[in-house]
Amino acid sequence: MENWTQRILLKSTLLGVLMANFLNFAYATDTDKPLIEPDVRPQIVDESLIDTENFELGVFAGVINIEDFESSPVYGARLAYHLSEYLFFEGNVAMAEGGDTSFETLGNVTLLTSSERDYRYYNFGVGFNLPGQMFFPGAFTFNTNFYLVSGVGATEFADDNRLTINFGGGYQVLVNDWLSVHLTVREHVYKIDLIGEEKNSFNTEISSGLSIFF
Amino acid sequence: MQKRINQKPLAVTLLLLSQLVFSKQVLAGGSWFWLSSKPLAQVTVMAPFVEWHSGPASGYPVFHVSEQGEKLELLIRKTKWMKVKDQKGHEGWITIDDLMLMQDASGTKVSLVEPRFDDFSTRRWEAGLLAGEFESTSVNAAYAGYWMTNNLSLELWGSQVLGNSSEIRILNLNVLHQPFPEWRLSPFFTMGAGKLFIKPKTTLVNEGSRSEDTMNVGLGARYYIDDRYFVRMEVKDYKIFTNRKTNEEATEWKIGLSVFF
Repeated sequence: MENWTQRILLKSTLLGVLMANFLNFAYATDTDKPLIEPDVRPQIVDESLIDTENFELGVFAGVINIEDFESSPVYGARLAYHLSEYLFFEGNVAMAEGGDTSFETLGNVTLLTSSERDYRYYNFGVGFNLPGQMFFPGAFTFNTNFYLVSGVGATEFADDNRLTINFGGGYQVLVNDWLSVHLTVREHVYKIDLIGEEKNSFNTEISSGLSIFF
Repeated sequence: MQKRINQKPLAVTLLLLSQLVFSKQVLAGGSWFWLSSKPLAQVTVMAPFVEWHSGPASGYPVFHVSEQGEKLELLIRKTKWMKVKDQKGHEGWITIDDLMLMQDASGTKVSLVEPRFDDFSTRRWEAGLLAGEFESTSVNAAYAGYWMTNNLSLELWGSQVLGNSSEIRILNLNVLHQPFPEWRLSPFFTMGAGKLFIKPKTTLVNEGSRSEDTMNVGLGARYYIDDRYFVRMEVKDYKIFTNRKTNEEATEWKIGLSVFF
């Protein structure tokens, strides 16, 4: 009895498989298409496919020597747009706080209120890259850029806002395609007439920072 | 037996998940955290060989060469350089000029539309930074412009005049007309209106801040240096409408660099 039921079951299964195969075959010949179509189309190269990374956004921190007003920590942000492999536009904003002049310290007087000691600048200009490489012991090699920058902007200090010219240079180590480390030295020059007589104020800034390309 | 069958769907799910997480496309793009599903374009080298540089500048050394017939994947672009990856997994930089000699998967030559100064369709936006003098006082200015037609653009300007006795900020909306857009040195004229915000220096003058309406007309020229950037110089004459008896006039000249996108 058991044999009989087994045989009937087997037969019907076999028939079912055959039927399914036949149906499959009929379907295939009907439409003349593979059941699973590969999702591959020729990719035409155009601008929308390509990820361009010409902008660079970064932050930096360092020390700025405000003439007559000690050296202070400075914090800032930088945006650059790379026009070519050599030339870039850049803009910087930064802030610091002026310290006491030696006259103030010795004479126990105050020339500026604390809000007047807030030092803020912005500038924009152009930069020039000189590409190179940096080799570390072992197999580490990084692409680098030595760059020169120059630009104009304004400095807000001692309740005054003055046209400021800046120039300097820096070294950039490109850690990978999107991250880089900077070391910059920059001179900021503006005219100040705080003590009645107008004179040039030279402010040297040394800073380091990180930037990302996007 | 029953238990093993029940474990199967779980195993399959895990396998699929790991496929999704570690799949080549997700990891390879370099920008997996943007979750970009853009397919990487593939090109075939048609020239006898193509030089690979270690970075996106001709100053970086050549370290590899691709031969004719090799297939390269395009990764990212920086200025006139393209990062590529070959089928063995090497990565390096080739120039856009070399890329334009290759074929894409459809069998046609790669044709990227590079912006050209005399082709209006490739550059609708421009922006620039200029410096100069506003009534013999230094001025810094930034602007962004949109080209509505080949000749006509709309510009938004922000300027800062840094004087000894006051600081003036100017906001302007200008219309600019360029009669000969196809010339490398292209003259233009412009007119606009805006607002002046005058902040006297408290140490010198005991006066409050004020704002005035202003209109301007100007003349200038742009000189294209390379495909994307140009020098721009201009002279503008401002009429300042004060609430006093007479209106004021001011002349401004500026020079700077601009770029179009």
